[in-house]
Amino acid sequence: MTSPLVSIRGLEKRFDLSGSLLEQITFEGGRFRRKQEAVHAINGVDLEVQKGEALCVVGESGCGKSTVARTVMGLLSPSAGEIHYGGQRIDNLDGKAALPYRRKMQMIFQNPYASLNPRMTIQQTLEEPIRFHHPDWSTIQVRDKIHEVMHSVGIDPDWGSRFGHEFSGGQRQRIAIARALAVDPEFIVADEPISALDVSIQAQVLNLLMDAQESRGLTYLFITHDLAVVEHFGTRVAVMYLGRVCELADTATLFAAPRHPYTQALLSAIPKLEDDRPSHIRLKGEVPTPVNLPSGCVFHGRCPYANDRCRQEVPRLIATDGGTQVACHAVEEGRL
Amino acid sequence: MALLEVKNLDVRFAVRGGDLTALRGISFTLDKGERLGLVGESGAGKSVAAFSVLNLIAKPGYIAGGQILFEGKDLAAMSERELRKIRGNRIAMIFQDPMMTLNPVLTIGTQMVEAILAQRKISKKEARAIALDRLQKVQIPSPEKRLDQYPHELSGGMRQRVIIAIALLLDPEIIIADEPTTALDVTIQAEIMDLLLNLCEQENVALMLITHDLGVVSQVTQRMLVMYSGRIIEQGPTREIINDAQHPYTQGLINALPQMGEPGERLFQIPGSMPSLKNVPSGCPFHPRCNFATEQCKQSMPEYVRSGNVDVACYEVANLIEQEKRMQEAES
Amino acid sequence: MTTATVSRWDRFRESFFWYSFKRDKVAIASFAVLLLMVLAAVFAPLLAPTDPYDLAQINIMNSELPPVGLDGADSAFPLGTDAQGRDLLSTILYGTRVSLMIGFGAVVLQAFLGILFGLLAGYLGGKVDAILMRIADVQLSFSTLMVAIIVGAVFKASFGNLMFGEIAIYMLIFIIGVAEWPQIARTVRASVLAEKKKEYVDAAKVMGFGTRRIMFRHILPNTLSPIFVIATVQIANAIISEAALSFLGLGMPETQPSLGSLIKSGFDYIQSGSWWITLIPGLVLVVLVLVINLLGDWLRDVMNPRLYKG
Repeated sequence: MTSPLVSIRGLEKRFDLSGSLLEQITFEGGRFRRKQEAVHAINGVDLEVQKGEALCVVGESGCGKSTVARTVMGLLSPSAGEIHYGGQRIDNLDGKAALPYRRKMQMIFQNPYASLNPRMTIQQTLEEPIRFHHPDWSTIQVRDKIHEVMHSVGIDPDWGSRFGHEFSGGQRQRIAIARALAVDPEFIVADEPISALDVSIQAQVLNLLMDAQESRGLTYLFITHDLAVVEHFGTRVAVMYLGRVCELADTATLFAAPRHPYTQALLSAIPKLEDDRPSHIRLKGEVPTPVNLPSGCVFHGRCPYANDRCRQEVPRLIATDGGTQVACHAVEEGRL
Repeated sequence: MALLEVKNLDVRFAVRGGDLTALRGISFTLDKGERLGLVGESGAGKSVAAFSVLNLIAKPGYIAGGQILFEGKDLAAMSERELRKIRGNRIAMIFQDPMMTLNPVLTIGTQMVEAILAQRKISKKEARAIALDRLQKVQIPSPEKRLDQYPHELSGGMRQRVIIAIALLLDPEIIIADEPTTALDVTIQAEIMDLLLNLCEQENVALMLITHDLGVVSQVTQRMLVMYSGRIIEQGPTREIINDAQHPYTQGLINALPQMGEPGERLFQIPGSMPSLKNVPSGCPFHPRCNFATEQCKQSMPEYVRSGNVDVACYEVANLIEQEKRMQEAES
Repeated sequence: MTTATVSRWDRFRESFFWYSFKRDKVAIASFAVLLLMVLAAVFAPLLAPTDPYDLAQINIMNSELPPVGLDGADSAFPLGTDAQGRDLLSTILYGTRVSLMIGFGAVVLQAFLGILFGLLAGYLGGKVDAILMRIADVQLSFSTLMVAIIVGAVFKASFGNLMFGEIAIYMLIFIIGVAEWPQIARTVRASVLAEKKKEYVDAAKVMGFGTRRIMFRHILPNTLSPIFVIATVQIANAIISEAALSFLGLGMPETQPSLGSLIKSGFDYIQSGSWWITLIPGLVLVVLVLVINLLGDWLRDVMNPRLYKG
């Protein structure tokens, strides 16, 4: 097998909640104690993105999927673990050394209303990154490049002198995609790129992303909560729960035969057009806060198959015969 | 007589440079215990429609024409005082964001008791008992405890349950739910939707569900109406529309869903986007995005025609029906 | 190039800003009065009948003449004269000029310091933020007047009265500018904190842009609206501060009077019946500060993003 384009190794990310040293000191039971609290957003994630694929990361809010995206892009620095791009470790590079990777890796954001600078015209928005990464290009080269990306995302080059707020959400997202494509990236992290858009616009943007993948040979890390999109778009899927990957499989395999109890519940919760009556797998309770992680398997509190082992021991991702990797004791023991 | 009948409702927004028409000629009915879905994308006017049913449109919006008949009385012509007796009491509303309804500095119990006492002359103790009963109905774990908690102490799903409990407090005739689960996670969303559905059936409450999610509509409602640019373009039994949509927009909306496409293939897409209220196209507002648009569509808004049990406003559909009729006549 | 300017002008004419200005009578009136006063001050050397700085034009015999319309008025001095025999109209024109210069100058300095420190504190956060904002707190806890009195006294003592007269205007700009920058820095910092969470800043980071470029090219333009509002009000405040200092005798000397020093110079003569020497500059000051504040209020309403829905 060829080496992966991006590999995430043992990634952990904690956000400190307790503030400065003074704020950490509390008075409890007659004595002063230092109390530290942190949100454990990611707790040991290993993922490899192969060249040319679209790896989808799904999960509910608070599962750490966006944190994974932002850490890969260097917007957050990992608390532990490494990020490699094309064999080179990139999470510890500083400004100058990271620059080539900034061009190769781009990001598309969730909210097209916030991801365009309101004080910049479309022309300026697209021109700045090109000039920044290609200072030696002539004005004509820059102009041609802008025209090329605007054309490829289906926006009229005459719109260049207008501002972002003059456009609809779908058009803005196209402009944001054009900005990412302007520097000819190889790898794009898309963080919920369509969830802020209307249904009919979602299809347009998804098609656009798929066209770009085909014509430019892009690799995607696609973050979403929408399983229907994953089924349509993804090559492989990683299902996350409370900062851990609980199932990793080819899209078709995962949708045909979900193994992890959480994946099963998630799949059955999608409202379908066909049936009249919902028949969900009901989960107990809600997602616990990532401040105090449950011991053992993070899902055990809501899992109908949990036993003592699940409450104590953290399950590891283990390959099953179907090609799926599952982190579940019940699956490993054959109980499920 | 229908419980709620909206007739030819026009809603406008007075802005600089003239009025914007947010709703044009909206007509629909809601029977007792019926579940009706309002589907549309943002800007279609579905939330305005929901708010105008309660005559709750904030300035600069106003009802420019039409009637909203609730049990035969016109809400559009009622005084603020009369309306207050209906809002929250006979017709309850659930919003997308629970914090729009919940006051963050008061306990759940206080807020529920207050809501009851505003409409009923009973003691605080009795009101509290009603509140507790409703919290039990929405299956909140340890409801006694929740009464003395503040909204921020509850999780998102729990808050939405409280909101539903508040909506049920005064045994309303109608619940209007505006995207009640959009802010929630998939698994929680499914639970809340189940709950709402079961409660409406048990209590025989009519539900008006505003959503952009066709999946939710198809599972919860019996009838649906599809809105586009302030107009109802298609309305009828949910199953019939989902299985065999007539209007090109509804068809497009359904076919654009990722689950309708083959994995890895391009999705069906409707070109362009919903026009803003400032420049609604002439004739059928959908015509610039429609594959079947003719000269006629550009000029005048189509009347409703009936196809099966569905009312559709589309010339193309009307022509097809006409053709079919002629073929049948020719055969006989 | 011309097409771009035309389209910008068109955009301005279609903007909410212009629309609400046209509809707000108070704003139009305030703006007209302010414009008139600014123009009068700028062109004071052309408009003023006499040059109050020129001792040769002053005749002590003309002192304390009342304004036209009162007994003993001289039509050569429409607003009367002060105790030294200077034409009050001319001194007011020149005084408004000095006051406005100090007001604008101080706000330019404030804005420069405030924007720089506010951006640094808001964007970099952490220790930089803590240090800069503590300095701002300390600075705010001294009243502007107190700082100005001390600094002014030191200046006066070390440079002597004559020299002081020449540098007074710069000193006042410096004092008021430095004393009030935390106001702007805090506003800038607050909006930077809000802006830096937005995704366009992340997008710029992902592009690999440097910190300086992100701060000044991406974030700064988006924080300008509140600065604009604050700066307007701060001009009025600076003019008032200057007037107060001058009134206390720590501001502009009487040879180069500002509105404040004019009020002060006339104050001693109220008892003797020459009320106009104080009252007329006082009225001019009140009107000036009032219209700037009214404009500031209007700006705040217009630029409030929650109300901003074109």
